[in-house]
Amino acid sequence: MKKTKQIQLVLMTALLASCDRPEPQWRAGGRTYIRSDSTAPYTVMQHSHPGYAFLFYAFRPYGIYTPFGYRRLGYYSNALSEEVNIGHSAVKSGIVRGGFGESALSVES
Amino acid sequence: MQRFAIHPRNNWQQAVEQLGFGFHTANVPYWDESAYYSFRLGEIELIERATAELWELCLVAVQHVIDEQLYGKFAIPKDFVPYIEKTWEADHPSIYGRFDLCFRDGQVKLLEFNADTPTSLFEAGIIQWFWLRDFDKDKDQFNSIHEKLIAYWSYLQSWLHPGKLHFACVRESLEDLSNTEYLRDCAIQSGLETQLLYIDDIGWDKANKVFVDRQDQPIQNIFKLYPWEWMAGEEFGPNILADRNLSYWIEPAWKMILSNKAILPILWDLYPGNPWLLPAYFEPGPLTDYVRKPILSREGANIDLVRSGNLIQQTGGEYGTEGHIYQQLFALPDFDGKHPVLGSWIIGQEPAGMGIRESDNLVTDNLSRFIPHLIS
Repeated sequence: MKKTKQIQLVLMTALLASCDRPEPQWRAGGRTYIRSDSTAPYTVMQHSHPGYAFLFYAFRPYGIYTPFGYRRLGYYSNALSEEVNIGHSAVKSGIVRGGFGESALSVES
Repeated sequence: MQRFAIHPRNNWQQAVEQLGFGFHTANVPYWDESAYYSFRLGEIELIERATAELWELCLVAVQHVIDEQLYGKFAIPKDFVPYIEKTWEADHPSIYGRFDLCFRDGQVKLLEFNADTPTSLFEAGIIQWFWLRDFDKDKDQFNSIHEKLIAYWSYLQSWLHPGKLHFACVRESLEDLSNTEYLRDCAIQSGLETQLLYIDDIGWDKANKVFVDRQDQPIQNIFKLYPWEWMAGEEFGPNILADRNLSYWIEPAWKMILSNKAILPILWDLYPGNPWLLPAYFEPGPLTDYVRKPILSREGANIDLVRSGNLIQQTGGEYGTEGHIYQQLFALPDFDGKHPVLGSWIIGQEPAGMGIRESDNLVTDNLSRFIPHLIS
């Protein structure tokens, strides 16, 4: 029934390790790199006070209202320079996300 | 088929977590190695033959549904019909599916086919195999899931569109992520270039009318652990029909026919008396002992078990608005109050292995436990 006895996993054994990450560097007072969306490069944030202030500066969503409701386009941060907040993609303004995934938390079947 | 109670390995949690299995215990245990099921080789060969033949019957049934335009019985959106037919005629590839079977008194009966988003693949292919290596390394198992996944991804390399094969699942479920990453693991080992993203990260490029990943690169091949009926009903659903890349979605849209329980009465209508099938109808008809199932439902939700006209068990849930089917009751075997259902995998058109989920009642739900097996 079993054709081979050698089973190798290249990805799975690291899966849980990636879910159990060590304490974020910013908690330990290190330099924190963030980006406003997937088209922007990571940049060191300019505020040195993690915690509540970090959350305030780093995670302010922005988006637009469409006939289908609110669409999140990314995050804006005063901790980042203006060009980094925008990103590089020329077609970014024409790309929307979040149109799948509204139905449930798990497929479990 | 016999059930044996045993002592779990002392370090079983650590052993399974080292393999990347992080959802072995939720509110109740899911991975349960305090018992195992033992099969004779002849029994396994019977299950394997049933799986192969059921797959052939299913492919014929898809063609029948298309030829006879029976989509109304499946509550499939009309807009999706031409697309489903296009993916069928163009042979958009399928990688896997799981037949849920009842094995009792030497008979194998199809309960349903999880054709679109089956889970428990990782525990069936990997976790129970390594359990067997610890428990009795000289024994064998009905399990070539891992080898067949790698082989079929490799076969698909020349079939897929050029570029990456993306993998997508919901972001909130470790179980879904583990199943998806396991499939991606096998794809990587077959030589494919892959990328993971969450289902809500999929983007739509309005100007070019293509789906894009987080780097705004076009998606041309994508495995998604996300049901077609949900995709079709969400905001991006119509975009699938407008996609200029005509991307390969795996599982393909024609699986909407097979993952729907309306396929059960269709199969019985096509093959009355087939030994692997149970009588099934869109109305109770001649049945007095039957199971009423929503055509679209998950994890044993909204099931009614009726015996001699009396309701003997019922599960709650939020499914059923699309309609129901009625299948003759063929109760799961009873091992001191434990009821096992066999999940028999078809991978790349071939039977590939089996996982067993066990419940304390006759409906296998999201509290069921995964029990390993061996061939005696």
